[in-house]
Amino acid sequence: MDSIDKVVFGDNQFFGINHMSQEKAQLLAERFFDIKHIYEVYDHAFECGIKGVMLNSNDRAKEICEHFRSHKKEYEFINWYPSIPYPHKYANMIAEKGIFPTINEVLFKGNTASGVLGMLTKGSAAILGKDAIKLMKMLVDIEMKMFKGLNVKVVFLQNIVVDLILGFEVKEVFIEYCEHVRKKYGAIPGLITQNMPHLVSKLKEWGIEEVVVCGSFNKIGYLMSPDLTTYEDFAKSNDSSKYQLMAMSTLASGAIRPKDAFEFIGSQNIQSVVFGASSYKHIKETTEILSSTL
Amino acid sequence: MRTLRLGVIGAGRMGITHYSIINSHPKVKICSIADPSVMVTSLMGKYLEGLETFKDYNKMLKKVDLDAVLVCTPPGLHHEIIKQCAALNLHVFVEKPFTTSKVEAEELVKLYKDNGLVNQVGYVNRFNDVFIKAKQWIEEGLIGDVIRFKSEMFSCTVIEPVEESGWRSTRENGGGVVFEMASHAIDLVNYLVGKPDKVIGTSLNSIFSKNVEDIVSSTFLYDKGTSGTIYVNWSDESYRKPTNKIEIFGSKGKLLADQHGMKIYLREAKPEMKLSKGWNTIYITDVFKPVPFYVRGNEFTRQLYEFTEAILNDKKSSTCSFSDGLETLDVIDSLFKDSNSNSF
Repeated sequence: MDSIDKVVFGDNQFFGINHMSQEKAQLLAERFFDIKHIYEVYDHAFECGIKGVMLNSNDRAKEICEHFRSHKKEYEFINWYPSIPYPHKYANMIAEKGIFPTINEVLFKGNTASGVLGMLTKGSAAILGKDAIKLMKMLVDIEMKMFKGLNVKVVFLQNIVVDLILGFEVKEVFIEYCEHVRKKYGAIPGLITQNMPHLVSKLKEWGIEEVVVCGSFNKIGYLMSPDLTTYEDFAKSNDSSKYQLMAMSTLASGAIRPKDAFEFIGSQNIQSVVFGASSYKHIKETTEILSSTL
Repeated sequence: MRTLRLGVIGAGRMGITHYSIINSHPKVKICSIADPSVMVTSLMGKYLEGLETFKDYNKMLKKVDLDAVLVCTPPGLHHEIIKQCAALNLHVFVEKPFTTSKVEAEELVKLYKDNGLVNQVGYVNRFNDVFIKAKQWIEEGLIGDVIRFKSEMFSCTVIEPVEESGWRSTRENGGGVVFEMASHAIDLVNYLVGKPDKVIGTSLNSIFSKNVEDIVSSTFLYDKGTSGTIYVNWSDESYRKPTNKIEIFGSKGKLLADQHGMKIYLREAKPEMKLSKGWNTIYITDVFKPVPFYVRGNEFTRQLYEFTEAILNDKKSSTCSFSDGLETLDVIDSLFKDSNSNSF
């Protein structure tokens, strides 16, 4: 498996996400309403030596992808780490319409490829229902459309989906997802989870290897199920040639000072860190600490 | 210890979430699921080994030997299903809002009081790390006597005209912002402050929904002099994620909490609790306790683990019983009556 970037730049800060403070999230959302400000922050990140970008397939990501696609020459060095799907889009639709009407709408609305249209009849919807794998691949392709033409290194499945299916223990979905990402996108499959030790033990059981596993990893054990000690023991014995580990929420939404946070990460058997920041100062500080600790 | 045999009725969003969470419990075996959708049952039957699937929950209850059931159907069906569960001596976890009428809820409370089985309603805020801490501190008298509160909830769930189909389009079946969302805000008031003695000044607005309301606001009064308001709006697209906020003003200070953190203003410092005079901020990272398996938030895991462990250890499930569910329905009942008497 190809090595992934040690430092990957995340996107939560651009989209009004701050797990600690809704007020702060709102202020950031206002600042980044003008997409030019997002590109400025990306340029700061690249100036600091970052080459990896994680981007969730939300509505604004489309525009961001378009920007980098049309300036591909200047930004050829970027490795993209898409994360799919955009969970809130689905969550709201599911709350309103139910799970299967949502899937139908996502699959069929605006995706009127002739092969897909034929399935619109009631009977064929049921057939599609029997084949979750086909359904999953179609959903992946729809989410991946916006990244076309970009240099995609890893395709991550969001934790809300990964952990839900992990609970169901449906190994076929994981096997086929990984296969699909490798074959169709020539990328490394990635799984985001809040249950990292459990997920990897299941992947081993199911014979799934050469995967990037991304999860919260911080010294206070925030969003790490079942607990910090289990994570530390797991990472210590992990074979990174089979499972490269990427840490997120390393600052635990700001509860840990960057220096302490990254010293801790540096002491663990972790291959990569994804972090988000919106000021040049923070990006520079973080990349400097990370390059000396990772 | 024995294995708990569990059945799930309803494979909508919550049924699926609960299934995933509790399937991680080493002492739980999910034996069967019932849902009228052929798509759902055929999918689950195909990929989940050893799971029996049914279109009709009646058949499932008759055929499968179970210890407990998770009821995750549209609320209008809860009463009938739980009555059958009681007849079969099954422990029950039911999604909020418990039932769609106070009278039905009273009947179920009595049935489960008599049979002594574990009973729980899915008011998940009671299992949230921040709200647990808020309750503890209010009970310890940190902000003194509660004088005034406001409980608010916002989301962008319904932001365009809704097709009038399915159970969500009628109140009888449990649709509308009061049953579906405000029930959480009301339950949070019951949990943190207590059940109000009187409900006044209720107004309901419909924006996009035709037959049900999209906004509710109301005032709660208490014999002891406390008063407060609730305001719940699920058509506010300025909120990206559902938000639950409560502000409680007391004789010794003020507490503002949502699912992610809490701010407390104190008139006097509490050095023994490391709280200063004036403003204090408590983040989720200061108060969280990890859970064995995470799907949608610690609170969702915690509530189901409490339910199953109460059964496995022959205890009562105490954080949110049917009686608590009835109290919330009682308030909702007063609220609808008040709203009717206020209409022009």
